[in-house]
Amino acid sequence: MGALLRNRRGAVIFFGLAALTPVVVRDAYFLDSLVLILLWGALSAAWNVAGGYAGQVSIGHASFFGIGAYSAALMVTRFGRGPWLGLLIGVVISIGAGFIIGFLSNRLKGPYFALSTIAFSQVLLIGVSRWRGFTAGGEGIPVPFRPGFATLGLGHVGWVYMALSVALVCYAVEVYLERSRVGYQLAGVREDEDAAEALGIPTRKLKVGAVALSAALTSVCGSLWAQYVGFVDPTYVFSVDLSVRFALNAIIGGMGTALGPFLGSVLITSLETYLRATFAGVKAGFTGIYLIIYGTALILVVRFVPDGLAGIATRIRMRRAHA
Amino acid sequence: MPRFVFTLVVTVLAVMLGGELATVRGQATSGEYRIGVLEPITGPLAFEGKRHMEGLEIVRDLINERGGVMGKKLVFSVADATDPTAAASEANRLITRESVKIITGTFSSRLCGAASEVAARHDVIYWESSCVDPRFNKRGLKHVYRTEIDATGFGWYNVEFIAKHLAPRLNLKPNQIKIAFLSEDSSYGQGVTESARQRAKTEFGMQEVMVEYYNWQTLNDMTPTILKMKQLNPDVVHHISFSNDGVLFWRQAKEQSFLFKALVHAGATGYGSADFGKALGNDANGVFALLEPGPGFRLESLRPEGQAIEKAFRDAVQKRTGTYPFGAHQLAGSGLWLLKLVLDKAQSDDPEKFRAAVMSLDLPVGSMINGWGVKFSEQGQNANDRVQHYMLQWQNGQLVTVWPEEFSTLRAKWIPLGAWDQRK
Amino acid sequence: MDPARRLGPAQIGVLAQLVVATVLLGGIYALISVGLTLIFGIMRVVNFAHGEFLMLGMYLAFWAFVLFTADPYFVVLVAIPLFFVVGLVVYALVMRGVIHASHNVQIFTTVGLSTVLQNVALVAWSGDFRFVRPWHLSTVLRAGSTTFNLTQVVASVIAVTLTLALVAFMKWTHAGRVMRATAQDRDAATLMGIDTDRVYRLTFAIGIAAVGTAGVLVAPLYSVYPTAGLQFVLLSYVVVVLGGLGDMLGAMLGSLIVAGVEVAGSYLFGAAWKEIFYFILFILVLVFRPAGLFGQRGAETLGV
Repeated sequence: MGALLRNRRGAVIFFGLAALTPVVVRDAYFLDSLVLILLWGALSAAWNVAGGYAGQVSIGHASFFGIGAYSAALMVTRFGRGPWLGLLIGVVISIGAGFIIGFLSNRLKGPYFALSTIAFSQVLLIGVSRWRGFTAGGEGIPVPFRPGFATLGLGHVGWVYMALSVALVCYAVEVYLERSRVGYQLAGVREDEDAAEALGIPTRKLKVGAVALSAALTSVCGSLWAQYVGFVDPTYVFSVDLSVRFALNAIIGGMGTALGPFLGSVLITSLETYLRATFAGVKAGFTGIYLIIYGTALILVVRFVPDGLAGIATRIRMRRAHA
Repeated sequence: MPRFVFTLVVTVLAVMLGGELATVRGQATSGEYRIGVLEPITGPLAFEGKRHMEGLEIVRDLINERGGVMGKKLVFSVADATDPTAAASEANRLITRESVKIITGTFSSRLCGAASEVAARHDVIYWESSCVDPRFNKRGLKHVYRTEIDATGFGWYNVEFIAKHLAPRLNLKPNQIKIAFLSEDSSYGQGVTESARQRAKTEFGMQEVMVEYYNWQTLNDMTPTILKMKQLNPDVVHHISFSNDGVLFWRQAKEQSFLFKALVHAGATGYGSADFGKALGNDANGVFALLEPGPGFRLESLRPEGQAIEKAFRDAVQKRTGTYPFGAHQLAGSGLWLLKLVLDKAQSDDPEKFRAAVMSLDLPVGSMINGWGVKFSEQGQNANDRVQHYMLQWQNGQLVTVWPEEFSTLRAKWIPLGAWDQRK
Repeated sequence: MDPARRLGPAQIGVLAQLVVATVLLGGIYALISVGLTLIFGIMRVVNFAHGEFLMLGMYLAFWAFVLFTADPYFVVLVAIPLFFVVGLVVYALVMRGVIHASHNVQIFTTVGLSTVLQNVALVAWSGDFRFVRPWHLSTVLRAGSTTFNLTQVVASVIAVTLTLALVAFMKWTHAGRVMRATAQDRDAATLMGIDTDRVYRLTFAIGIAAVGTAGVLVAPLYSVYPTAGLQFVLLSYVVVVLGGLGDMLGAMLGSLIVAGVEVAGSYLFGAAWKEIFYFILFILVLVFRPAGLFGQRGAETLGV
């Protein structure tokens, strides 16, 4: 346990701070920002399972997010049951969708795979927008807030711990993939699929499994998000922008690492909320600037700092160790 | 290099966090009253958010010239609601950091739903000026109000116009009218179209020959749809559009010589926006759009207090933008003016006192900007028949008021539309 | 709601018009996709920012029209060299560094570029819809009961001309042969003394010039706004994949197919479903014939 804590210093600090914050800070906006940081972090960590650990870079993860969000919202509004049931159903459906995407990943490489994931998310977007009878179509679903744990009607402090729990689960999955046999095999698939195959590793099954797992985790976050924000709109929950965002945090934070997605989320989410809050009153057009900053950051990081923030931290640590 | 980047990142984070923790702006800067304004300033809806902001700022200045609210100068804390997550987050910020007790906004249904939930949880008043989702007021939230009619109201007025004004001029009984419904598929288009369909069918027995939705952002060609419609031969086309698709449909309908008797739209986007006239010039003649009043509007048809503020509003918009007010200006501005009326009556932003003042307001049509009256229902919705809407028509490059006739000096022309080159 | 089953003159008229609509729409799609397939084919890079260069071309047409009342057809002459230079600059600043990097890097570089360009346009020119209205916008040619919009016809003709010119360029000029060689085997090309960097630079510049020009030609037909690229970018990927990477004639055929699916889908099932049809077609092609309908089997794994 001691060794674990020492090796995962960064994670302990991060999650520890997150857990302690509600005790010290009562400010609702700060807590709200923290919830978003944790939630986006969890989503990016979920993406990382497929993208960073299995090497299947998808720009269509919003598919699973949307499935989770709609399952929860529909379960509450249409069927009058609790969102937890919706969350479970969303997970099941997302695993199914994950199998489909996983199947695609076995047939397609690199950019082709990315394009197919985009197409998949758009098909879902259009389908849900048209299916007025069931999903209320383009009008979206307002999700009512009813206090209580069963209905996920939590206060700000409650949401921090809820998001933290999900984040920890995603983190744990990532760590498992780093240290377990399955994880090593997956790394082999990622680095050189043909060689892995030659070694007898079941590459196809592993890829599909990784994508399905990633899908399930993303779906869980989507269901929680629906209850947190309170409005599910198809053009948002299935959007390509959202898919890119999941990947963005992981890349900036460090794609192949467990803490990377969370570091990326801290930076990006904070930057976004800060810039939005600061520039909103100023000449309206300037608020587009933070998106320009993102885009530029993405280009620069991906080229010059491919290990992301986590990579930087590791390099500093190693330098210090060798000094 | 890595160390430099790392230090840079940490410094940036520290500055931001420090900024976040430090700024809590209280309400009580003396002589000022602050409300929260939540609009989409970036993102896909930015084009409307910008106009809303203009309208709000103009009316805010008018209010302050007339003594402000509750004796204090009205001031805004502006927040950008790019998407639903941002809307909820920014609503939170307005409430906890800017300490506002009232939030107004927000243009789009996907934004107002999330933001109003947040406001409700904190007992903050939500004063919506233009999102049209009919479910907005049906969630049992006591301090959520809407000054503008919802989508069902738009549909209601459109069908009213078609049945009571168009039908007689076309020598048809309402139940003889063949109507085709075409619409973009966002919440706005769907909401208005479905409510129009309902009323057309159940109340007037109009014959619905087609109903189609499409995604305005990926629509490149309307020829197939137009060809289909030509064969169905509708009398009236009810088309709810944004700018790109509205122009496309009208242009291609002309190319395909698709003739029908009238086109009716609702709202300040698409056919109802200045862009349509800019894009098509006189080719735009004849199209109807349900909106707030435009040129031709008879000030004299309003009550004295309405006349005064409407004139002041129009002059102020003209001065700032060089044009007659656009729909977005009118919705945002009138929402804010109405807020002032309520606050003057309540003299407090305590939710219960506020609510009492809201419910007690009962002003007839013609009392304020846009010729509106006021009467809120128990659910916080301003009544359809008080929120007078007008049918405007494109005539020679301008959207002018033509209906109800008592409110305008101008009259609807080209009924039926007739040949494309005959509409002068 | 379907037209009557009899094939009378009215039905033939409708069918003729639908065919014309397909061809003209296909022409526009071809114009937009030709640059993408070139870049994708030779550089093996998916340019997610393709739609944004189209949008920039549209804004060029708009500002030229507003400031100088320049007709888009004149602006085309300026657009070609201008966007060629833009392509060179973007290559030098952004693309060169990631040519030899992994796919992820390339994908996210162009995604980042797309975000930057969209928002630069938004900040600089606001989100308002703009329109380019040259005098010939509403001119239609008629043949019997079938109408052809002149602007679309010109765009289609230019698309065909441009594609044929590029095909000729690739086939018969030295530079073109060099580019094809690099596409087939980058390492062998380097061993043969080909400066692959120059090849890529030229390719990218030509591709951007093509799509920028497309933007200028397309501007009168649609509104101009910062996210206008989204209208076309996804379907141009479908076109490119259908036609086979780097296969420009394939891109033309792919454009016709996508346009046909859209037009037929809209007519028969309603405009709501048209995108679903070509996305599903896209996924099917990716799964069963990723080299494209006209490409060689297995070609999709070359150099990818």
